[in-house]
Amino acid sequence: MKHGIFLFLCCVLIFNTIFAQSSIVKIQIKHAIGDSKTICTDSIYRLNQHDSIKITTLRYYISGIELLLNNQSIWIETNSFHLIDISDSSSSFFALKLPQNTQYNQIKFNLGIDSITSNAGALGGDLDPSKGMYWSWQSGYINLKLEGKSNLCKTNNQLFQLHLGGYLYPYSAMQQIVLNTCDQMPICIVFDLEKWIQKIPLDLQHHIMSPSNNSVLISKAAAQAFRICTPCEK
Amino acid sequence: MRKVIIIALILCLTSGYAFIKSYEFTVPENWPKPVYNFNKNPPNFTAIELGRNLFYDPILSKDNTISCASCHLQYTAFTHVDHALSHGINDRIGTRNAPALMNLAWQRQFMWDGAINHLDVQALAPINHPDEMGESFDSVVFKLQKSKYYKKWFLLAFNDSNISGEHTLKAISQFMLTLVSSNSKYDSVKRHQSKFTAQEKRGYQLFKINCSSCHTEPLFSSYQFENNGLPISNELKDSGRIRITHYLQDAFKFKVPSLRNIEFSYPYMHDGRFKKLSEVLNHYTQGIQSSETLAAQLRKPMAFSANEKVDIIAFLLTLTDKTFLFNPKFGYPKKIFNTSPNK
Ligand code: HEC
Ligand code: HEC
Repeated sequence: MKHGIFLFLCCVLIFNTIFAQSSIVKIQIKHAIGDSKTICTDSIYRLNQHDSIKITTLRYYISGIELLLNNQSIWIETNSFHLIDISDSSSSFFALKLPQNTQYNQIKFNLGIDSITSNAGALGGDLDPSKGMYWSWQSGYINLKLEGKSNLCKTNNQLFQLHLGGYLYPYSAMQQIVLNTCDQMPICIVFDLEKWIQKIPLDLQHHIMSPSNNSVLISKAAAQAFRICTPCEK
Repeated sequence: MRKVIIIALILCLTSGYAFIKSYEFTVPENWPKPVYNFNKNPPNFTAIELGRNLFYDPILSKDNTISCASCHLQYTAFTHVDHALSHGINDRIGTRNAPALMNLAWQRQFMWDGAINHLDVQALAPINHPDEMGESFDSVVFKLQKSKYYKKWFLLAFNDSNISGEHTLKAISQFMLTLVSSNSKYDSVKRHQSKFTAQEKRGYQLFKINCSSCHTEPLFSSYQFENNGLPISNELKDSGRIRITHYLQDAFKFKVPSLRNIEFSYPYMHDGRFKKLSEVLNHYTQGIQSSETLAAQLRKPMAFSANEKVDIIAFLLTLTDKTFLFNPKFGYPKKIFNTSPNK
């Protein structure tokens, strides 16, 4: 009999945690160049009349997702680290699990990985160093990797390779982004690659492999290229 | 009946852990608390043994020829005696002297300039090839995943049937954390189990006055970054800590090395420029080069007589720990390699 009650309590507990009142908010990140709303890794995209670009790698971390209501934080995702990779389209979709009836009108997140996490040793999941987003000769995550080919690069093979990151002063590259979402569900975010790439002096900066001032500047430009798919009415 | 099934299920789920013997990391008497966070990587004997295998296995290198032990040999306190490396994996490895590996649980930063911020991620540096930064660790993990032999070990050690990069690194850390050297003559004197000779005692006095501000007992390093006045090598142009922090005051500073097992860890300094301890002492008395970042303690020249130098060296030799250098638990894991099913 006692065992029966115990088992029953266990069941109640398990059910409670599984079916706790929560709602799911889906997030989608779209990558755009001009009219192209999805970017494939081997196509060539025109930037303007003369210039074109081919992207072979675009991978970056979104971390520390927070929802805000009128600039007040009301929900923080725990263990919030998402590696987005354009060669794996499923990585651009993920879901937040919030308590039911959570009201928000802004989303806040980091582009990159914070310094505490960068100092925390070997981590798993999307942060696993075998994901190719960890520097080896100087510890720290690569926040954002962009590689490809463009006639803008004044190199023989026109290749560029930008590994942006660094968490130490004065080259801390992580960027914070806040976007107005209204009460949109799902939350649709655009990373406007054309806007970003036009701010990268690819003729001079085609190879960045360690923390530096340029790494910070190009990371800032990337952060400015994020927006909500359909802007709020008011 | 159902109850029995549930109990059996719970037993099955937990048994994976139950059969693993956990390892108690012991802090030697009167030593400070380690800085490594063992809670995030709880040691167990299986993972340590796995880490030891990885440390000695050339599978970690691109062409399967070099293991960690190629450069970190146990009998020389896990440093390498031959400075000029023909077979280095990374260009920087050729320009710096491999430090002795011991008492790593007490260190916050690694490498001579502190470029590595955590023991777990240290192994990535030698594993990765310079031209493919961040690329080849994936293939190391892939190679491990394909080996049936390692699959079994990762399952036992971490309950990981898929072999992750995280657990590969944590296993190597677990082995390196066991490399504790605390049984030198110096330690037994401190434990009142033996006595210094008169000469060693004189050397110890001189050491405490002149050296221990940086080579601080009981670890014989403060693990801070200091400029000890080495003339800058024009060939290597190694500016040390400033490469990482970009602070001007860090120019030409290097991590203070521990002096434990110093008898065996020659050549000395970040570039291995000195072969003998007498050359090191001559540096401290006559070779100090003044510069803006030279440590305050070294601005006033040290003066030791020839006898005093011999006394200091006699003391430094009491830091040799034979139980560490010849501990079979740290050596080549013959038994395990031999029982490997597909090697
Ligand atoms: C080709 C030689 C070589 C190989 C192979 C090698 N190392 Fe090293 N190791 C070095 C050198 C040289 C340094 C110092 C480099 C520096 O300071 O820039 C070093 C530094 C270290 C340190 C830092 C010690 C301290 O006190 O700061 C650790 C820990 C270490 N190595 C572990 C390993 C492990 C684990 C492996 C195998 C995955 C390995 N090493 C493979 C040469 C090597
Ligand atoms: C101001 C701090 C400081 C003081 C004081 C100091 N050292 Fe050092 N010592 C260092 C640093 C830093 C290094 C490493 C320098 C490098 O390689 O660039 C070092 C390196 C050494 C090494 C080489 C270790 C190795 O593994 O390569 C020895 C031996 C040594 N010191 C002995 C002594 C002795 C003996 C004294 C006292 C007479 C002394 N030191 C005083 C900072 C200091």
